[in-house]
Amino acid sequence: MRRHLKYFADVARKFQHKRRLVLLFVLSLCLLPGTARAAGLTDILTLLNTITSTIQNAIGGVLSGIQTLNTSVNNFRQQIIWPVNALNQTRGFVASTRSHYQALMNQIHAIKNNSATLTSPTQLESLYRSAQGRSIAQMQGSYTNVYAPVPLATDAKPIQRNLMDMDDALAMGSLKTAVLSDQTTNGMLGLADSIEQQSATAAPGSGPMLATEAQIASLESQAYFAKVLAAELRQEAAKLAHENALLKQSAANTRNLQNQIQQVLTHP
Amino acid sequence: MSGRIWKLARNMVVAVVGFAVVVMLLPTKARSQLGLDPCCAIISVGLSTISNLLSSAVAKPLSAIQQLEQDAANFEQQVVFPVAAINQARGLATQFQGQFAQMKQTFQLPVASATLPTAQQLEQDLLSRNPNSVSQITTNYAALYGAVMPATDAPQQVRDLVDITDAEAQAAMKKAVEIDSLADLELQAAEQINQQLSTAAPGSAAILEAQASAWLVRANAYTQSAMAELVRVRSIELANRGAQLKFSTAHTTNLHSSETQVLQGAH
Repeated sequence: MRRHLKYFADVARKFQHKRRLVLLFVLSLCLLPGTARAAGLTDILTLLNTITSTIQNAIGGVLSGIQTLNTSVNNFRQQIIWPVNALNQTRGFVASTRSHYQALMNQIHAIKNNSATLTSPTQLESLYRSAQGRSIAQMQGSYTNVYAPVPLATDAKPIQRNLMDMDDALAMGSLKTAVLSDQTTNGMLGLADSIEQQSATAAPGSGPMLATEAQIASLESQAYFAKVLAAELRQEAAKLAHENALLKQSAANTRNLQNQIQQVLTHP
Repeated sequence: MSGRIWKLARNMVVAVVGFAVVVMLLPTKARSQLGLDPCCAIISVGLSTISNLLSSAVAKPLSAIQQLEQDAANFEQQVVFPVAAINQARGLATQFQGQFAQMKQTFQLPVASATLPTAQQLEQDLLSRNPNSVSQITTNYAALYGAVMPATDAPQQVRDLVDITDAEAQAAMKKAVEIDSLADLELQAAEQINQQLSTAAPGSAAILEAQASAWLVRANAYTQSAMAELVRVRSIELANRGAQLKFSTAHTTNLHSSETQVLQGAH
């Protein structure tokens, strides 16, 4: 028993001498990373796989899709909406239509419709078919040469003179308006030709601008047409008023006649 | 002495064994920062794969997309929206501006032709292109064409006919003034739209086209109203002729009756 106790005491004493080694051992064990490093490798592999998969599928797939989409959009634009061949063909069509019809229409439009044979009517007719605004100043004299001036106050009643003067004025006014309208018509035809000419070299992008220009010109043309229509309205209204005035005159004349007959019958 | 040596040797053996155990338990050098490890090769292969993928799956399509975008831009700039054609269209609008102004001046040349004061007064109203002068037409009209005859001078039927005829003639004259005035406004609007067009872009031209189209519809509507007035004037004219024939028939019938009465009285 004593020997055993002594042995244990020796071992304890020896063991005290090796404390440094034990401490080193324990510290080493504490510093070991254990399985952590093995797990890091797996993570790296997983991460690499994820990145590869993302690049290949998510990014690569989308980019490929965008490329396909862009290609189809470009093809659609270049082959369906604005194929260069069709654009050139259309430009050619505009140019050929213009050259084909313009000359024909100009020829028809240029035909002179003058038909008067005597001096004064020929002069008046040439004035009101001149399509020149500056010629309307000469129309008064020429018109009077053909249709005679308003009678003198001694030769006709005031109402009759007024009717004649108004009829003449509106007839002449309408003739002058027709001259101005013809001039404007020629201007409009020039504008239409310019638009068509430019259409023959236009691009799809400038096409709407030319179409707008044509609409504006059309609006102008419509406005001038309205003015011609207004002249016709004045003229027709004057015709109506003239006939009505004659009816009023007739009634007045009948009343005067009745009065005179009555006077004659009252004082035979 | 030998005991000490044995003790020293035993201590060293214990230390070496302890160190060996520690070293064996360590996670090897390859897994640390130094030396070659299979993990390095794996990472290297992985990075190489990523690089290849970036080249093939990302860079290549991006390059193709860039080319496509370039082609599309070239096509749009050279075929669809060439600046030269756009400027040419703008130039046409500027050129038209002058021609529109010239036409407007042409249509403003005086066409008045009456020589007597009463006729001049009415004509001035009719050619005024001023809707404010519409109210004066009635007075000036009556001064020239006279008023409806008094009841003592004509049968009621005739007076009705004269009144409706005067009304329509005056309405047509008033309408002519209104149409002239509206046409002036249409011309003003057309010039303004054209001015806008001369600085417009292809994209905004479509808006102006829509506006011009709307104005055209409006102008057509006003023209249609003028045409309706013209139809009314001609209808009244036709109705008057019919009425005169009817009155003439009635007068003939009355004359026959009177003759019959006179002849019967003579017998």
